[in-house]
Amino acid sequence: MLCAGLLLATAIGETSLDMTVVLKVLANKLTGAAWWLDPIDEGIVWNYRLPRALVAGACGAGLAICGVILQALLRNALAEPYLLGISAGASTGAVMVSVLGVGGGIVSLSAGSFLGALLAFGLVVLLARSSRLSGSAGLIILAGIASSQLFNALTAFVIARSANAEQARGILFWLLGNLSGVRWPSVGLAVPVALLGLILCWWYRRALDAFTFGADSAASLGIAVGRVQVVLMTCAALVTAVMVSLVGSIGFVGLVIPHALRLWVGPGHGRLIPLSALAGAVFLMAADVVSRTLIKGQVLPIGVITALIGAPVFAALLLYGERRP
Amino acid sequence: MFCRPALAFLLALPLSAFAAPAHYPLTVENCGKALTFQRAPERAVTIGQAATEILYALGLGERLAGSSLWFDPVLPEYAAQDAKVPRLADNEPSFEAVLAKRPQLVAVQFEWMVGPQGAVGTREQFHDLGIPTYLLPSDCEGKDNLKGADGTRLEAFDIQSLYKSVRQLADIFDVTARGEALVASYQARLAQAVARATRHSGKDVSAMVWFSSANLASDPFVAGRNGVADFMLGTLGIRNVVESTEEWPTVGWETLARANPSLIVIARMDRRRFPADDYEKKLEFLRSDPVTRNMEAVKHNRIVILDADAMQASTRLFGGIEQLADASERYAR
Repeated sequence: MLCAGLLLATAIGETSLDMTVVLKVLANKLTGAAWWLDPIDEGIVWNYRLPRALVAGACGAGLAICGVILQALLRNALAEPYLLGISAGASTGAVMVSVLGVGGGIVSLSAGSFLGALLAFGLVVLLARSSRLSGSAGLIILAGIASSQLFNALTAFVIARSANAEQARGILFWLLGNLSGVRWPSVGLAVPVALLGLILCWWYRRALDAFTFGADSAASLGIAVGRVQVVLMTCAALVTAVMVSLVGSIGFVGLVIPHALRLWVGPGHGRLIPLSALAGAVFLMAADVVSRTLIKGQVLPIGVITALIGAPVFAALLLYGERRP
Repeated sequence: MFCRPALAFLLALPLSAFAAPAHYPLTVENCGKALTFQRAPERAVTIGQAATEILYALGLGERLAGSSLWFDPVLPEYAAQDAKVPRLADNEPSFEAVLAKRPQLVAVQFEWMVGPQGAVGTREQFHDLGIPTYLLPSDCEGKDNLKGADGTRLEAFDIQSLYKSVRQLADIFDVTARGEALVASYQARLAQAVARATRHSGKDVSAMVWFSSANLASDPFVAGRNGVADFMLGTLGIRNVVESTEEWPTVGWETLARANPSLIVIARMDRRRFPADDYEKKLEFLRSDPVTRNMEAVKHNRIVILDADAMQASTRLFGGIEQLADASERYAR
């Protein structure tokens, strides 16, 4: 399924390329065949489309896992990196580094993004904890909205310091995601991080099962609650940050995928985690294909596509009550 | 304001031909509004470098009470005039900063500064206070500024609209003859550049114009059909490979690489908001990216570096066309 998704995402693009060309490129590169090809066509398939599909896949898998982690630890069906403002914080961090030059070139884009993500997440938790409305399940989402608004405003502020219509495009890149600049070096970062997240999450699958019944029950089952929370939350922030630093913030993947999978395989994390990662990967690759082909000659921000699918799911979750994840 | 455009037109034309001082009241048709002047404005404010530099070219610096919205340093030949004009803001000025100068005219380069969603204020707001706003016709004629990031050209940019703004501003300030002379000099420069370029006509020369990108490797902002850069290419017989009619659409490298233009024009600017604003970063990308380095123009080093301000509807575009004509002549050999 993953391979079919990859092949499809590589075969479909802005311009139409014959499937045989795509297969020949893959044969040349992977098996050392020596078909003669136009170097531009070959470059498009191997250096543009394939890394793009791989990063889309890694991103989808990573964000879906973040959704699983956050929903279990926060015991909230609506928890997701984008809705909690973690993606917004990561965008701000990345923009600070890339546009303002904070860190003087020593701090990388991903590191800036990671700090932003941690800061945003910390703010959300702090807000939710110290609120006098505590106890309400929607509280953390409200805190997330406040944090998203704050960090998105900061991102817009950093970019929009000059009067030019182009500023809108720079902002769009970070707020809605864009995969067009993805090349092989991004793959080298995205895929290992997604795999690391997946393995770590799978390692703690029983703890996540236990957390579904609350931190107290988890503690009574002999789980080191504090340590697991810190490790997994950091992992979620890190994965989100790396993905955002590569492609901008893409929303709702962490919401749609785990919920759809729970309906299908049930709440057990042993199956939920790998299947969410797989489905997330395929979902984002498909969303990317749609974003490139929906309007001819124009590429839509991928965040528009995921939000068009994700926002109704979010609404449905609100309407049909909060089932415990 | 009571307008009699037809009568004013009759009045303005024959008199302006003799640069008579008494062609007031003067009514000028401007972007859907009729502006009437009882006398030449003594204090004007400009929003947009192109409008400012037209007034400097007409030698009207001492009539300027304030300038704003600068993209580049002022041209050296206008530095002496500019030194005496207060700069209200480097970017868009606030509505009140403009009013504080009590201007008798506000000359504006872009409609998004004073249009229906005006960044400074709407034209109606200014007109309600009795301050006429003159919008450069190149930004309103045949252009829908509510569509696309930088507006969308409904009709191809017409160089006449630029001449018109020079002539009309000269008329408003009662320096009609200076306006005519200036237009004639621009026309001569244009004709010369075209003559050089047509010497090697018959070849299909194509080009893309890369302005900048949000991130170095991501989809670039390139010149669309009908815009000023497209006009510059078309005038010299060069085909633009981009087909969108947006002024500066975002087009993927995949599409551009396959279109494989024979020339690549890259913009040079002082702005450093995005890494790709730096033309050296653009060159580096074109030469190192595994796909773009295989493009014909990159392989044969047919890359033209052009000043970004020469691709705007401003009097600097004549310099741009000259640079482009030089380049296409060089590569045609």
